[in-house]
This record gives sequence, structure tokens and C-alpha cells, in this order.
Amino acid sequence: MTSLTGYAAVSMILFSLGAIGVVSRRNVFIIYMSIELMLNGINLFLVTFARYHFNMDGQILSIMVIAIAAAEAAIFLSVIILLFKTKKSLDTNVFTELKQETE
Amino acid sequence: MHTPYLIWIILIPLLGALLNAGFYIYHIKFKKLPEKLFAIIGTVTPFIAFLFTLNLFFKLNDGSENFEQFLFQWLDVDNLSIEMKLLGDKLAIFMAMFVTFVGWLIHIYAVGYMKGDDGFGKFFAYFNLFLASMLILVLADNPVILFIGWEGVGVCSYLLISFHYTDGDNVMAGNKAFIVNRVGDLGFILGVITLFFALDKTGISFGDMQANISIASNDLLILSGFLLFVGAMGKSAQVPLYVWLPDAMAGPTPISALIHAATMVTAGIYMVARFHFLYSSVEEIGLFIAYIGAISAVFAAIIATRQQDIKKILAYSTMSQLGYMFIGVGLGFYSSGLFHVFTHAFFKAMLFMGAGGVILALHHEQNIFKMAQHRKRLPIISATFLIGVIAISGIPPFSGFFSKDAILAAAFQQGEYLIWGVGMFTAFLTAFYMFRLYFVVFVAPNGHEKEYSYTDKTITFPLMILAVGAIFAGFLNFPAIFGGSAFVDTWLAELNSVKLHMSHATEYALMFASIAVAVAGIYVAYKKYANYDVYKPESEEGLIANKFYVDEVYDKLFVQSIKRLSRYFDETVDTKYIDGTLMLACKGFISFGKKLAIIQNANVRYYAFYMLAGISATSMYIYITLIGQ
Amino acid sequence: MGAADILSFIIFLPAVVAFILMISTTKIEDVRNIAFITTIITLILVMKIYLNFEPKAEMQFVTNIEWISSYGINYYIGVDGFSLTILMLIAILIPTSYLLLWEGRTKGYWLNMLLIQTGVTGTLLSLDIILFYFFWETMLLPVFLIIGIFGSGNKVFSTIKVTIYTMAGSLLMFVAILYLGVSFFNEYGHWSFQYNDLTTLTHLGYNEKLFLFLAFATAFAIKIPIFPFHTWITGTYSDAPTGGVFLLSSIMAKLGVYAVVRFMIPFFPDIFVEFSSWFVFIGVFGMIYFGIAALMQDDIKKMFAYSSASHLSLIAAGVFSLNSYGINGALYLIIAHAIATGGLFLLIGLLHEQTGFKTIKDLGGIAKKAPIFTFMFAIMLFSNVGLPGTNGFVSELLIIFGIYEFNHTMGYISAVTVLVAASFMLWMFQRAILQERVGAPLQMRDLRIKEIVGLVPWVIIIFLMGIYPDPFIDKFEPTVTHYINDILKIGAIK
Repeated sequence: MTSLTGYAAVSMILFSLGAIGVVSRRNVFIIYMSIELMLNGINLFLVTFARYHFNMDGQILSIMVIAIAAAEAAIFLSVIILLFKTKKSLDTNVFTELKQETE
Repeated sequence: MHTPYLIWIILIPLLGALLNAGFYIYHIKFKKLPEKLFAIIGTVTPFIAFLFTLNLFFKLNDGSENFEQFLFQWLDVDNLSIEMKLLGDKLAIFMAMFVTFVGWLIHIYAVGYMKGDDGFGKFFAYFNLFLASMLILVLADNPVILFIGWEGVGVCSYLLISFHYTDGDNVMAGNKAFIVNRVGDLGFILGVITLFFALDKTGISFGDMQANISIASNDLLILSGFLLFVGAMGKSAQVPLYVWLPDAMAGPTPISALIHAATMVTAGIYMVARFHFLYSSVEEIGLFIAYIGAISAVFAAIIATRQQDIKKILAYSTMSQLGYMFIGVGLGFYSSGLFHVFTHAFFKAMLFMGAGGVILALHHEQNIFKMAQHRKRLPIISATFLIGVIAISGIPPFSGFFSKDAILAAAFQQGEYLIWGVGMFTAFLTAFYMFRLYFVVFVAPNGHEKEYSYTDKTITFPLMILAVGAIFAGFLNFPAIFGGSAFVDTWLAELNSVKLHMSHATEYALMFASIAVAVAGIYVAYKKYANYDVYKPESEEGLIANKFYVDEVYDKLFVQSIKRLSRYFDETVDTKYIDGTLMLACKGFISFGKKLAIIQNANVRYYAFYMLAGISATSMYIYITLIGQ
Repeated sequence: MGAADILSFIIFLPAVVAFILMISTTKIEDVRNIAFITTIITLILVMKIYLNFEPKAEMQFVTNIEWISSYGINYYIGVDGFSLTILMLIAILIPTSYLLLWEGRTKGYWLNMLLIQTGVTGTLLSLDIILFYFFWETMLLPVFLIIGIFGSGNKVFSTIKVTIYTMAGSLLMFVAILYLGVSFFNEYGHWSFQYNDLTTLTHLGYNEKLFLFLAFATAFAIKIPIFPFHTWITGTYSDAPTGGVFLLSSIMAKLGVYAVVRFMIPFFPDIFVEFSSWFVFIGVFGMIYFGIAALMQDDIKKMFAYSSASHLSLIAAGVFSLNSYGINGALYLIIAHAIATGGLFLLIGLLHEQTGFKTIKDLGGIAKKAPIFTFMFAIMLFSNVGLPGTNGFVSELLIIFGIYEFNHTMGYISAVTVLVAASFMLWMFQRAILQERVGAPLQMRDLRIKEIVGLVPWVIIIFLMGIYPDPFIDKFEPTVTHYINDILKIGAIK
């Protein structure tokens, strides 16, 4: 068996890239893509460990994650369209309605 | 000895007051009632009270014991047992007699004086209430019940001074009277409390206190004596609590006559006499009282020489004569002081009523330099006024001479030559300013031609009766050296701690001196005022004419500073400091909240970052503490 | 339903009626009439208790049912001479005040009044301290609503201020209560919050007791109020509607004093004795301070707020004077002050409705137009000032005696009370009622029959209590004596 470290490392790198992307990117689409990247990184992680321990649980979980990601994509994209309709922009800095008013 | 009658002396005027009050409310709300109704109720009730008092007087004179009447237990807490009990001893009946008699006459007078006034019924309700309160004061068996009457007369005084209340000045005068009185009352209450505790809480009725007086320490006796006298200072208008009396002249004249001449102001002297058992054991306070009396007497007399309002002159004269009375009781000569109370009631009430008659006749003019030469037009008033002025100046055989002379002789005998000298000087001034008043108002030739109104019989009748009293009342205490029976002295002898005992020569010499001094005063007044040109009134400038600026000083010293303090309390201490501290707490919360709220900047990425950071930290923590061993 | 349940009935009847009314009718007259009848029924029940009460120093008409048994919290109510007097006071004052508030209110107003009555009565009768706290807080909410909705001026700010301020104090008290409960559990092994059980705690250290005492004291000091926790009073009294300010000053403030006597004396007698000088001093100081502050007020309600605070400080001083005169006098003044100040506030409320005045400067010439109003006003005023013949005098006399016995100098200073109220009251009376107004005359109608009927019992009580005080004092004197002997017994051990 190739050591886990390679696969784990790749999935961690994927996850981190996704996390950093969520936090630091301004475009809503990019944030979405980063979220998907995080999910896929976790998927790889799950499948790796499932294969390593010869246990199906990880693979089942990862299929569930894929299914949920798909559902989430649907909702996410609809929300993006609605957001665009209100502010005509996809920059997250523009959406500040919930802010506490400073005096 | 128990009697069921004492309470009726009080209840009958009280009933009169309530009846008149009820009828008055009916009168203003529903249908008008005739003045006669109020007048009859108002004048009959004091007379009935007088008859009851007279009855008890005769019984006491025949040698009966003192009368008592226990009504009910008023208060009973711990050691403080106050009974609602009346005491009709010689002193009380003496006071009650002239209070009801003079009061009755003034009620009659008031019928004529207040004729046509809107509040006629209300006036008599208050007047009867006043009389009832005064009688409670006089007949009380313990100082707390006395205080009920004491305050009662104070309240009635307030109500009556501000009778025409739509004019704010009248109400201010009433307020002043009430509040200055209250300063005195403060002293009185503290005196009673100090005395009660000094006597080890053995009892609060006069009888109990008198029996136990030796328990108290001398210092506490002096203190309570002083405090009680503060009450008398307020009620009887002595220095320094006298400032309300001249202003009280804003009330209708019958009030000035009854309350501020004959009755309420004498309550202070009565109170000192009532507490004679206390004052006899601490002579220092007695001396203090006598000095205050002397100071007030001369002070008031000086001011009176330059007053122009007829009622104010009489007011200062009252204050001055009250000073004499305090000299008497202060030095231990209770019967002399009280005798002067008695004679003074007659001639001062008469003087006030006469003044009122003049004021009415001239349509409410009160400045003496605007009146003149009424001898012909108002003969009865003029004649009775002259009698009163002679009496007050101390010319024998009118009553004022006997009472004033007894007091001055007492001062001389006790070695208080300063007081005697001041008293003589005041007698001079008294004769002077009273005759000044008489001459300017009744004698001075060129005067203003004013319209005269007709004078009611109800006004002149009491004047005549009182004149008789003013002339002859002196004979009630005709001194022994002239072969008289000194009736009042023996009647009140149980109070006296000291007796008059000088050689006849000294007594004659003193009498001669007093007469001489009075005659001198009259002469000076005659020279200056008998032919006075009233078109040139006296100036209103100068220290004396401005009453030594005492009112202004009091105002600056007390009134203004309390007002400023009030504003300071409300605006600065309350609002700035205390509320400010509270608001600091509030503002602290609010600003803290605002600082926290910076986190919530509605930017989704920050929220995502917070989540990420949080989850990472938690995972690290769990890993390190739980797993990473 | 035995005779002992009468107290529960008295407490809960107004609340039950309020809830029923809330969901049923909408006609204001019906609401008002039914509310009025409810208070009259309560009055009759209270009178029944009053007449059947024996003047002994123990609790009577007691009900004690388990409520939250796992924590020893019981529904424990009862009445003794002390609470009976205040209960009677409340029961008489509330219906008659309705008569003076008759016109022009809305349904919510009447419902809140009923709820406040429940809260107040419950607080008065609770003997389990958690139950007491429950009712104490229940009083706050209707007051919050009544001021916030029906008030005037800065009403929202005032109501929030008073509610939060009072709650802050209550919070401290709640912590103390819980601490007491826990201490009891630690000592005896079972839970109880009954007040006679909590007095038997012996293991509390001095510092603990001090903290608990101060916690309770703060809560009550805010309620009464005592200097310097009084700053909510001017805004609240001034902005509250007439019924609200009447209930606040006449009734709720007294409950602070009641609570001090009921709970603080039995729980912490030694600390009570130790701190008594402080409180007497604060009381006397407050009495003078508030009296002076009242002088220059132009807003009559604010002036009365200060006057009320002045008397309440005097009451507090009387309570802390630790002797029979002072405490009996304080109780008497509670009654006298409730009637006089309540009457004054209600009359001013009437005046405000008729004339819409804002300050004293707007007023004048009322006496000519409304003589009966002036007469009633004058009687309340003189009772407030402490004129002999009224109950105000008897109470102040007793308190001065009491404070004097406690400390001679304090006694002398406390006597200034006779002067303090007289000055600002009379001046106000002159400017607002008696003298002629500068400008056009005001529209003011005189009192109607209903209002006169409402006020006459108070006038009668004022004079009856002033002329024949003994029977009134006899009802509560045994309880007071019991409390004093209780304290003196503990305090004398030291």
C-alpha cells in the first residue's frame, strides 16, 4: 500500500485551498467553487481511509456527500441569481444589510 | 374634680364652626342663605361658651378644687401615654374667661365689619374654629393636646389672614405667619420631647411633669425651657421670630383684633405660665426670657414711631406689650404678666376695632397721613380710641397703668435695672407713638376731606363695652398699698415664685416715675403732631422707617439661600451627579455593546472566517487535550 | 374552601377577573364597572379579616401548600397586625381611587390596575420568600405597561428606567435569596424558603450576612426610595398616568418598608442593629434633602414626588430607630402618607384633565371655581404637612419621639420635618390654587358626587386617626413589640 500520507496530503491541500478561497475571495461564484473544492477534498479523504481500512462506511458517506453537494449546488445557484437581481453585483462586500449601524 | 362641662366650652364654638361651614357650602352650591343666619350662629356660640366658663369661675372662686375632664385615651405606645384630658384650673379658667368674652365682642364687631363680603359664612366658620382651638390650647391637660390647639390657632390664623386669597400678597402674609410659627413649633415640640425624656418618661401631663420635675438634670431642664420658649417666641412674635406679625395685618381687622391682639399671641405667655414648674427651677432661662421680652418691647416701640399704616402701628405695639408680659413671667411674676395679658386684651382689641371702624368709614384707607380730624364725624370711635390710647400709655386710673407698673416694679425689685430702664424708655416711646397715632388721625386740623360711610351699631357696641373694661379692669388687681384686694394676684398666686415686697416709698417713687415718663411721651407727641400738617407726610427713608431692614436680611439669609439650595439639589446633585453616575453605567454598557458589534459587519466572508477559526481552534484543543497523548 | 382560603381569594380575584375581562368584553364601561366591583368585593373580604383579627403577635389566616416541593418552595401566606394594617389601607384606597379615575380610561388601564392590585396584595401576604419574590416582580410588569402606554411626557424612557433600576435591585435580592436557601440546605439537609425557617440559620459568617443584608437593603432602598437611589422617582412620577403614580407612591413604595420590617429584621437582626445609625441618618438626611429640593419645582407632580420621597425617608428613619415609638410611628405614617399623597396625586390628576396645565405657572384661581376641590385639596395638604388633628401629626410626633430616643441629635434634626413640607406645600397651594391667574381664567369644574363619595372616607379617616389614634395603633402594636423584643433579644447578646 502506498502510504496514506500522499493521499491525505493531497486531500488536505485541496481542503485548505477551498477554505482559504471561501474566506478570501470576494466573488460569490468563486466562494461557491471553493466550497465545492472543500467538499471534494473531504470526499477524497473519506475514500482514502475507506480503502485503507477496507471498510465501506467511508465510501458510502462520500456518496452521500456528493448527493448533498449536488442539492446544495441547486440551491446555491438559485440564491446567487436572486442576489444578483437585488444588487446587480456578485461582490460579497456589497451585501451589508445585516450590519449594525454605527452612530 | 370631674366635671362634664369643660368639653362643652370647646365643643360649642366647634359646633358653630361646623354648622357655619355646612351652611356655607350649601350657600355657594345651592341656594343663597341670609347673612343673619351665619351671624347668629357665629355670635351666639362664643357667648354660650363664655357663660359656661363664668359658671366654672364662680365655682372655683367659691373654693372648689380644680376641674378635670377625662375624655379618652389618645395615644398609648410604650411609656408614652397621652390622654385627651381637659384641665380647668385657675389659670386655665382665667384665660378662658377673657378669651371667650373678648372673642364674643369681636364676633359681634365682625358682623358689621364683614357685611357684604362674599365669604361671610366662611369667615364665621373659621372664626369659631379659631376660638375652639384657642380654648383647646388653654384647657389642655398635657402639652401634646395643648399643641393641637396651638397649631389649630396657627392654621386658623393662616386661613383668616389669607381670607381674601385671590390677592397673592394676602396669601404670602398667611404663609409667612404659618411658616415662622412653625419654626417656633419646632422648638416647642423638641422642648416637650426633651422634657419627657429628661423626666425619664414618667408621664406627659402637666400634673405628672410637675410632680416629677426633680428627676431631670439641670442642663436638660435649661435646654427644654429654652426650646419651649422658642415656640413662644414664634407664637407671641418676639425677637427674632416676630416678622410675621406686621404682615399679618393683611387680614381683615377683626382678625387682627382677636388673633393678633387678644388671644393667639398671648398663647406663648400662657404656655410659659403653664410650665411655671419648669421655669421656676431654672432661673437662667427666666432671665433670658425677660431679656428677650425687653429687647422686643423696645425694638418694636422704636419701629412703631415711624410706621404710617394704622394697623402696623398697632401690630408693633402689640409686640411691644407682649415683651412686657414676658418680662413679667420671665422674672417669675406670673400673675403680673398674666394681668397685663388681661388688660392688654381689652384695650388692644378696642384699639384695633376702632382702627377698623376708621378704616371702614374711609373706605379702606389705612395710611394715617391720609386720615384726619374724625372727632366730630366718628365720635364714639374717637372717644373709645382715646380711652384705649390713654390706657396703653399707662396713665392711672386706667387699667394699663396697674398692669404695666406691676411688671416694672417687679423688674426693679429683682435688681434687673437694665430691664427696668428699657421698660421705662419703652413706656415713654409707647405713649409717644400711640398719641402720635391719635393726634394725626383724630386731631390734626387740616385734613383730607374724604367721604364717610355710616358706622354700624355692631361696631360701636363692642367698643363701648371694651372701653369700660379698659378703664376699670385695673381695679381687678388693685395693689395692696392702695388698699385694694389684688384679686388677680391672689387668684393666680399658686404660680408665683416671687412676690412683690418693697417699701411703700419705693413703690410710690416707681409709680410716679412711670407716670412721669408717660406724660413726657404724650407731651412730645402733642408738640409734634397735634397741629400736624398732613399734607406733608413723614419720609419713608431711614433705618427705623424701614424696620431696620430685618425682613430683607431674613430674605437674603434664609429664603434666597434655601431657594438656591433647592435648585442645586435638584439640578446638580440629582441630575448631574447621581443620575450621571447611573447613566455612566448605562453608557458603559452601550459603548461596550457597540464595540462588540464591530464584529458583526455583515460581511459574509468574515463570518466564514470566524467559523473556520473557531472550528480549527476547537479541533486543536480537543486533539491536544484528549487525543494527542 | 375554608376560612383560611380567604387570603388567596383576596390575592387572586383581581388577576382572575382581569384575565377574564381581557378575553371577553370590549366595552370600556363594562370593564371599568366590573373592575370596580371586584375591588369592592376585595374590600369587603379584607374588612371581614380585619374584624376577625385578634391583636396578637402571630400570623393568622395562614395557608401553607407545597408548590415546588423538591426545592422547598411553598405557597405560604398569612397576615399579622403589621401586614393587616397595610392590607386594609390598600383595600380601602384602591376602590375609592377608582371613583376618582372614572372617566376616560381604556380597557388596558383598568386591567393593569387590577393586576397591580394582585401583585401588591400577594407581596404583602407572602411568607415564603420565593413567593414573595414572585409577587414582587409581578408588580413591576403592569406598572411598566401602565406608564409606558398611558403615561405622558418622556414616558417610555421613564418606564424603562424605573423597571430596569428596580429589577437590578431585585436581582441582587434574588441572589441573596438563593444564597439563603442554599445555606439552609447545607445546614439542615432539606430545602425551605419559608421565612420562619430561614430565620433559624446559624452558620452564616459575618461577611456573608453583611453581603446578604446589603443586597436586600439595596433592593428595598431602590423601591422606597432612599437617598441616593431615588433618581428614578422624579421622571417616573412626573410621566406616569394618575392611576399609576397613585399606586406607585401610595402603595408600592410602602411595600419596600414593609419588606424591610418583615424580612430584614428577622433574618439579620444583629447587622440591622449595627447599621441602624447609618439608615437613620440617611433617612433624616433624605427627608430634609427631598423637602428642600421640592421647593423650587415648577412641575407639581415632580414636587409631589420629592415630597413623597421626603416622607418615605422619614418612615425609613423611623423603622430603623429600633424602638416602639419609631416603628409604630412609621407604620402610622405609612397610612397617613398613603392617604394624603394618594389624594393629592389623584386631585392633581383631575386638575390636569380639566385644565391641561403643565407647570404651576399655568395655574391659578382654582379656588374660586372649584371650592370643594380646594377644600379636599387643603385637607390632604394639611395632613401631609402634619397638622395636629390629622393623622400626619400623630405619626410624625411618634417618629420624632422614636428617633430622639435612638439618638438625641438625630431626633432634633428630624423634627425639622414639621417645617419642611409646610414651606413648599403652602407656597404651591398659593400659586396654583388660591391666587388669581395671570391671563385668562382656566376651565375647571368642581368635584362631582362620585368623586366626593370617593374622597369622603379618606377625609374621615384622616381626622379620625388624628383625633382618636389609639384604637388604630392597638391593632398593630403587639406585632411591633414582638419585633422589638425579638431584635433586642438578639442585639442585646452582643
